[in-house]
Amino acid sequence: MPEYTDMDMIAYTGSRVLEDDKIVFVGTGLPIIAAMHAQLTHAPNLYMIYEAGSLAPILDMGMPLSVGDTRAARKACFLKGLCSAFELTQRGYADYAFIGGAQIDMYGNICSTMEGTDYDKPSIRFPGSGGAGAMAANCEKTIAIMALEKRRFVEKVDFVTSIGYGDGSPDYRRNAGVAGSGPYRVITNRAVFGYDEATRRMKLLEIKPGLSPKDIQELVSFELIIPPDVKEMVEPREEDLHLMREVIDKEGYFLKKKVQK
Amino acid sequence: MINNVSSNIKNISKVTYKEKPFEYWGPTPAEARKAVVNKPHGLRDKRTTMKEAVDRHIKDGMNLCIGGFVNTRVPTAIIHEIVRKGVKDLTISIQSMSICCELLAGAMILDPDRVSIRRVELAWWGYEIIGIAPLFRHLVTNGIIEVDDYTNYGMSVRFKAASMGIPFVPIRDHGGSDMELVNRGKMIECPFTKENVYIVPSCIPDVALINSTMADKFGNARLFGALCTDPEMATAANHVIMTTEKVIPSEAIRTYPNLTEIPYAAVDCLVEQPFASHPGAVYGNYWFDMDHIRMFRNAGEEFRKTGSKEALQKYYDEYVFGVADHNEFLEKIGFRTLQKLRDWDGHQPVIAY
Repeated sequence: MPEYTDMDMIAYTGSRVLEDDKIVFVGTGLPIIAAMHAQLTHAPNLYMIYEAGSLAPILDMGMPLSVGDTRAARKACFLKGLCSAFELTQRGYADYAFIGGAQIDMYGNICSTMEGTDYDKPSIRFPGSGGAGAMAANCEKTIAIMALEKRRFVEKVDFVTSIGYGDGSPDYRRNAGVAGSGPYRVITNRAVFGYDEATRRMKLLEIKPGLSPKDIQELVSFELIIPPDVKEMVEPREEDLHLMREVIDKEGYFLKKKVQK
Repeated sequence: MINNVSSNIKNISKVTYKEKPFEYWGPTPAEARKAVVNKPHGLRDKRTTMKEAVDRHIKDGMNLCIGGFVNTRVPTAIIHEIVRKGVKDLTISIQSMSICCELLAGAMILDPDRVSIRRVELAWWGYEIIGIAPLFRHLVTNGIIEVDDYTNYGMSVRFKAASMGIPFVPIRDHGGSDMELVNRGKMIECPFTKENVYIVPSCIPDVALINSTMADKFGNARLFGALCTDPEMATAANHVIMTTEKVIPSEAIRTYPNLTEIPYAAVDCLVEQPFASHPGAVYGNYWFDMDHIRMFRNAGEEFRKTGSKEALQKYYDEYVFGVADHNEFLEKIGFRTLQKLRDWDGHQPVIAY
């Protein structure tokens, strides 16, 4: 097996989750690498939508470094603005959301607004929802990318920025008035999670070779559902690493970043 | 907002917050309608100087909307002039912004008697790959400015509602998140489907600051690359100060009227200014200047970490107060850098006729 980093594994796993003939709503960084890798391998008819307003661009000038990067508009099929991108999403054209955040709970609710208890004077203030809250509400399926750490996988998030399954009740999302079906996968450097259909709680699906379900549970503050058939995460092959490092993220803006800031 | 219809967010929310009695954070829909009716609606040459445009339209206590998105087609040149002139008690309305908001925040930290922000309605304020926005974090965690959080769609569609002349708009996000509790939107029962639906109030700025790719002298503007929310913001606001990278003949506008994204009637002042978004990017013209953005962010980060205003002061003294206008600013950036940024745009195609 070739040597790979946590970032390589996250991007590669993101690619595996995406199906062909779909539209994926991406931000910057690893989601774009995941989507481009999927396009170049198993999903040639998969397209990206960017919140600044472009649909199905061809990124032949290099990786966009910003969601508003002019390169993200390159050779798009359709190029309008934020209203258009999110209204296509609300209408049902965006199949996957790729979002990140500072904290996630067992029902897939994500915080990217603040830490602390007082909204008017938080202990830490993050940039805010950006597109994430709308993507989690209205893309059909939400894929979260997170570093697997106890302080991030928490009992309760400090602020629900991006809706998951809420309190886990069957009608939470319906009462919230959102259109998408909700949390689908959580991709980390050491495990992939899905959600239990009956309880909507986070469930361990795959673990990195060499680790046990117990190792993963120790990195999570809430109790995971651990089924008997947990699989091993597929490791990227030499040709996958070549594609991601030499073709997609040539400058190493995202793959060379460490998992932890 | 207190309300008898809601999602089940209260079952999971941990956050405490001040209840805000509802008010528009700027003109009301009725005031906005009147302001537009009272504007001259004929074709007039809108070209003027930056100083004149800012003097005429920027007033204390106003709701100021900053166009573009993060660092695309942002109105940096106008922001610099606003900092030089000074304005107090601002409400800022944006979707997602980086350096333009931080420039106002930095000016406030250096001299709150010159520039001050009272509150901001937003979706996101940061530097993406470069990091969090240190001055925003400073102002919010110290309770110095008030915030009202929405998603990027929420803010964009609030401008769209204002541009449609309606007081609110129903949407399918915010519900079930803590934004339902803390922002000025409201969950209602849809009168038709009888299902819960979230409504957000229109966002009506007193003035929107827009940089366009090109425009004729009347202010008919073309935008290339992502439109961001510029067309909605321009007609949402009571007034628009527009910079444009290039003034083009009106015959071009009349030849391809479909390409006009902002109509002349919305534009009050037009200033032709190449590189008006620098260090931001303009599709078809230049890419963003990451080194410059990083340099300014570092000055802000130094203040947040050490309390020292020295690096910030130095930045403003050199790049804002030390120059008379944006051309002098660009001279400091230098021809070689600007040429490189033009190359990095990759000559994305635009239609100049």
